[in-house]
Amino acid sequence: MSDDEAATRPRLPVTTIAWTGLAWIGLAIVACALAPWALHLSATATDVANAYASPSLAHWLGTDGLGRDELARLLVGGRITLSVGAIAAAVAMLIGTAYGAIAGYYGGIADAILMRLVDVFLSVPTLFLLLFLAAMFHGSLIALMLVIGATSWLGPARLVRGEVLSLKERLFVEAARSVGASDARIIFRHVVPNAGGTIITTTTFMVATAMLSETALSFLGIGVRAPMPSWGNLLSSAQSDLFAGAWWLIVPPGLAILATVCAFNFLGDWLREGRDTGVAGT
Amino acid sequence: MTNYILRRLFFAVPTLLGVAVLAFVLIHIAPGGPVAALVGDRGTPAQIAQVTHSLGLDKPLHEQFFAWIGALAHGDLGFSYVRQSPVAALIAERLPATLLLMGFALLISIAIAIPLGVVQAARQRTRFDRIASLAVFIAWSMPTFWFGTLLIALFAVTLGWSPVGGLQTIDTTAFDWPSRLAHLVLPAATLAIVSIAGWSRYVRGSMIEQLREDYARTAVAKGLGPSTVLFKHVLRNALIPFITLLGSSLPGLFGGAVITESIFAYPGMGQLFWQAALDRDYATLLGMTVITGVLVILGNLLADLAYGIVDPRVRYE
Repeated sequence: MSDDEAATRPRLPVTTIAWTGLAWIGLAIVACALAPWALHLSATATDVANAYASPSLAHWLGTDGLGRDELARLLVGGRITLSVGAIAAAVAMLIGTAYGAIAGYYGGIADAILMRLVDVFLSVPTLFLLLFLAAMFHGSLIALMLVIGATSWLGPARLVRGEVLSLKERLFVEAARSVGASDARIIFRHVVPNAGGTIITTTTFMVATAMLSETALSFLGIGVRAPMPSWGNLLSSAQSDLFAGAWWLIVPPGLAILATVCAFNFLGDWLREGRDTGVAGT
Repeated sequence: MTNYILRRLFFAVPTLLGVAVLAFVLIHIAPGGPVAALVGDRGTPAQIAQVTHSLGLDKPLHEQFFAWIGALAHGDLGFSYVRQSPVAALIAERLPATLLLMGFALLISIAIAIPLGVVQAARQRTRFDRIASLAVFIAWSMPTFWFGTLLIALFAVTLGWSPVGGLQTIDTTAFDWPSRLAHLVLPAATLAIVSIAGWSRYVRGSMIEQLREDYARTAVAKGLGPSTVLFKHVLRNALIPFITLLGSSLPGLFGGAVITESIFAYPGMGQLFWQAALDRDYATLLGMTVITGVLVILGNLLADLAYGIVDPRVRYE
């Protein structure tokens, strides 16, 4: 049986890859937070005489069309993209957990109506809603985080609901009810904490998704506002530099997004597998 | 069977209605409310007065809703004052190009994802399976707009094998198939990358599950060759749930088309949606949201029906 179970999983050296992912995320956070300051780099200082300089000792990743240091912009942009990813994911998880837990716990008609509403949202492409709301509230970073969070809670809501459906039949819920705990207390103090494994795993995937949303919106010119760098913004401006042959403006931000999104997905995958076999992440 | 179809149709109605309500709510929360939504930020006072009057915006909200639904049912998706055109006409003009792009992307995805998943399942736990799994994981995490940019940089700018973007070469006015196809390859590949990753993973898992079934073991035991078992027995069953997956991937394809079409300057629905978002053209955004919602619901309905036909175990009562 365990042989069969092992067969459904790709035999990647899963743990090694998950640790690599975790190390990359840590490195990215530390580098983006501290390096611009430690290396005395400026993301805004222009030097038009030095525009489109290829990578050198003075500018490790070269300069852009205005002569700004690309490494500095990459690191400062990383701060924005990583924080948008983290906060938007937190917003999505808060909404999704509460929504899914209430639907799953009450069941019946309430559940049917709430989940039908999720079906409605799922019929409209997420990117459409995202662009629509981003067009309405374009401007502040906080609004961007809220908009991304508000359009990505559907998946978490479904997962948490599924988990709560089985958890609410457990004895500890019965016990809590018998000592007179209120529904709200049972849901948020007893049931939701027991769905913690699912919630943590989903959060990890949601950070990856939210980062992709931020970069896609910024790439489309409707996310993070222009002078402020973000990984999506860097790629957006790099697209018009395509014919200048400035590969150093296209490859590093793309690789940064890909590697970081991959790292979060690897981590999530590892947590999920661990939960399935009861080894890690519970 | 008729019963099953009717039940499915019946269940699609509340979802359709929900999409209409969602769009109605979006109009009312748009800055400036429905008037600005229909006229745009650049409406003249005369236009604003005219629209307010003709829409009866002083009437109660529920009356406004039914009037709007009624117009919607007659195919009236509103008027874009920003683009000076009925929204339905804008969509009709651009929908075919997007459907062509999506169809081409679907073909590419199926042609790559199914064989890849099958081979991975047949050679599970080999070096090939591991490397393919890792590649699929990376493709799954790929920002599509970056992938598209790289394709342009490599195939269009550096090698010059492909046009950079557009629908077809400008100096041909007629419908020019070779030129249309040449302009489709890179955008379709960009749009397909995520579905290739997701689907091949799905096919692999589904194949492995079916390979463990008794009928597969029986087929092997009676001496059938591996490819006969794999393709004639197992693949057929493994592909049944794939139909549902096709239906549920429609919203993602429409969303992906926004990014793909804007990178490649491909004049379809996605590009229109993007430009409308940049212009704050809420009327166009709303009309397209409603139409896409309807198309997605119909697509899921078709997938459900096809599932019922292909899998006789689905009961129709």
